[in-house]
Amino acid sequence: MASSRRGVGLGAFSNAAISSDQYARHGAALRTIHAEALSTQLSVFQAALHNFSLTHAKDIRSNPSFRAEFARMCNAIGVDPLAASNVKGGGAAGTGKSVWAKMLGSSVNDFYFELAVRVLEVCRETRNENGGMIAVGEVRKRIEKGRGLVGGGMEVTEDDVLRALDALAPLGGGFKTTMLGSTKYIRSVPKELNADQATVLEVIQVLGYVSVSMLQANLDWERARAIAVIDDLVADSLVWVDSQAGETEFWSPASMHAG
Amino acid sequence: MTTAPPEPTLQPPTPTTPHFSPSTPPPTTSTSTSSSTTFPLPPWTSFPPFYTLQPNLQTRARQYELWSTLLQTYARHHTLFRLSLSSPPPNLFSNDRLNRALKPSDVRALLDHLSKAENGGVVEWIPPSAPSSSSSGGRAEQSQAVYIWWRSPGEWADALYGWVEETGQKGAVLTLYELREGEAVRGKEWRAMEEGMLRRVLGVLVKRGKAQVFGLESGEGVKFF
Repeated sequence: MASSRRGVGLGAFSNAAISSDQYARHGAALRTIHAEALSTQLSVFQAALHNFSLTHAKDIRSNPSFRAEFARMCNAIGVDPLAASNVKGGGAAGTGKSVWAKMLGSSVNDFYFELAVRVLEVCRETRNENGGMIAVGEVRKRIEKGRGLVGGGMEVTEDDVLRALDALAPLGGGFKTTMLGSTKYIRSVPKELNADQATVLEVIQVLGYVSVSMLQANLDWERARAIAVIDDLVADSLVWVDSQAGETEFWSPASMHAG
Repeated sequence: MTTAPPEPTLQPPTPTTPHFSPSTPPPTTSTSTSSSTTFPLPPWTSFPPFYTLQPNLQTRARQYELWSTLLQTYARHHTLFRLSLSSPPPNLFSNDRLNRALKPSDVRALLDHLSKAENGGVVEWIPPSAPSSSSSGGRAEQSQAVYIWWRSPGEWADALYGWVEETGQKGAVLTLYELREGEAVRGKEWRAMEEGMLRRVLGVLVKRGKAQVFGLESGEGVKFF
């Protein structure tokens, strides 16, 4: 019961109603105060984050470890700096920009979109060489090197590359990441690898190359199966052929630019 | 994803083949008469499949691009203007350390590809000189050498004309010999350029109306304006 001390008579009923009404009103008042305090806090925090991203825009863009920390902070407080295109803030956000895009300014977004363009370029440039499968680390290295004379390189981390790739997601698939062995690859052509192909690519990644007899010996495959898988990989330009070894060897193009 | 095969059991059955290790820098054993520094071979020359023409045409197109880059930088480094199939420069089409080499027929296919204008015209087959009497039956004797245009004829024309302007030789008559071997062009990149190439370059300047070639055979002269 609401009260331990109960009066006698009919008046007690109205007393109870009045006090519960008072409790409710007080509760509501408390809640509004809380909400107000929270919204002030939030707006202060928003302003602070906005200011921070503005004053440190240069650092965020140029310093990979700073950027990683910033991304980590955003993650910790549940902010996705890239969520711009998905999270449409209701009426308050106004002109189609997301709350976060408004808050963080466009510099963080721009950075990742710019990076995404470079990632796309690298994938496209190297497609003839690797059949559209490229290690994230290789992409990072190439972006760091820059594209020849025009425009210097960008200092980025693999995490940045993956984040940038996420930014491309709204544009429709085509770019997927796959794990091969212990390395993350970006697949820029829409073909799926079947299980056998993935296995062979993993083996190549470990050893640098494979031959048909190696596959037979190590995976216990029929010769025909090994040949079929390798033929597929060659047809998809995912491996390069070296026919001057004792037995024809198949190499991953990933090792071509190492060294 | 599939489960990875247990890695330790994966052993290449042929351990005799030299294993490719990306960390070791490629050895540069090539020497040349014109340059004392060794040519830094690009990393992909340590990649064994580079020396086998790729069956996948898309991959091969990329391979040709890499070869084109290698050939041009190599030729520029050694100021090499002419490449003969019978005696190709050492370590260009082969890698002794890997025990790999581009087959002679593949070298020809590569040069054929690079000689096409749409592929940059990096090389140009030199027509076999005097039609030899022995090959009367054959339609045309196969060419055995190429010019390497590590700069395009247009670029050479610019360089040549720039030099003429700089040295105030406009209006003067210079012989082909002077342009190729003279004291004045010592240290110039086109020094010792193949005569056939120089003629092409001068042809570009003639077309631009900046030079006139006269005289026949020996002692040909060029006048620049």
